[in-house]
Amino acid sequence: MKSRIAENILRNTSEETKIFTKKYADLVIRINDVLRRKGITQSKLANMMKKQPSEIHKWLSGDHNFTLKSLAKLEAELGEELFEIPPKSIRPIFYEGPEYSVRTFVVYKDSTKESTPVSSNWNLTTNSKVLSNVC
Amino acid sequence: MTNFVLCIWNDECEFCTFYSVTKSHLEEEDSLCETDKFFIRFENPTNEYFDAAGQLLIILLESIGNKYGAIDDFFDRNKNCATALPPKPKKSPKEIAILGSQFPLRLYCHRITPHIVILFNGGIKDARTDQLCPDLSLKFIEAQQFVDLIERAIRNKEIIVSKNGRYLNDQSGSQDIII
Repeated sequence: MKSRIAENILRNTSEETKIFTKKYADLVIRINDVLRRKGITQSKLANMMKKQPSEIHKWLSGDHNFTLKSLAKLEAELGEELFEIPPKSIRPIFYEGPEYSVRTFVVYKDSTKESTPVSSNWNLTTNSKVLSNVC
Repeated sequence: MTNFVLCIWNDECEFCTFYSVTKSHLEEEDSLCETDKFFIRFENPTNEYFDAAGQLLIILLESIGNKYGAIDDFFDRNKNCATALPPKPKKSPKEIAILGSQFPLRLYCHRITPHIVILFNGGIKDARTDQLCPDLSLKFIEAQQFVDLIERAIRNKEIIVSKNGRYLNDQSGSQDIII
């Protein structure tokens, strides 16, 4: 059983909003869990990071404009990853099916012989010259 | 407060069943539950609070419902007996605090177990306290009354948590519970 109204709102909610909200919840849970598990208080964290407790309070109460760098510092001090980007290994791509190879051919023209056009539609030049790279 | 009906709002999530309350009698099939009355106000994508309503639904159905269950981290905004969503921004950086301190909506709720949450009505938070918000003050009082009656019914065994911990039943086993 589902609420039709909730379903309708979710259908029209942008993908960006959905991703942001899910990541928000994940980060809240993650940080709270690490602090709780390690018994870290704000003043303890301030000592660890060699910062003023007031500054740490700003960090943790939402008054600080966090950058990736400051989050990295927080991760380093807490000793646990707060953000994880799943690794994607670069692998060679193999295509299934028959094998193809490319070969180059050089065609020599015997300038001493008169050639007869195989098709009357062909408009061959009468004074054809040997190509400079052909012996 | 007159009688109300406790009904399932969403039971399709992996870890949590959401209930809501309907003030009218069971015969009125079309009447909306309190939670739908809250969300229907923001259902139109042109509504100013449409995005916020969507965010609240993601927190409810995805994070609580399908990922974590009704754990403490989501239910830290206490409103007397009831609780309000979204959770507080404490111990969280700016990026994730957006949903907390600046979030414009409040939805009142009551957690029975980590797998059962009852959702009530809510509204727009535009003053320092919920009681000072014209859109929230009445719903705040109502939520307290709902919680009081539900807790009393649980204590009196009029509401029983099912064996699998996911549903509420009355003594006859019905899932639509009149209180």
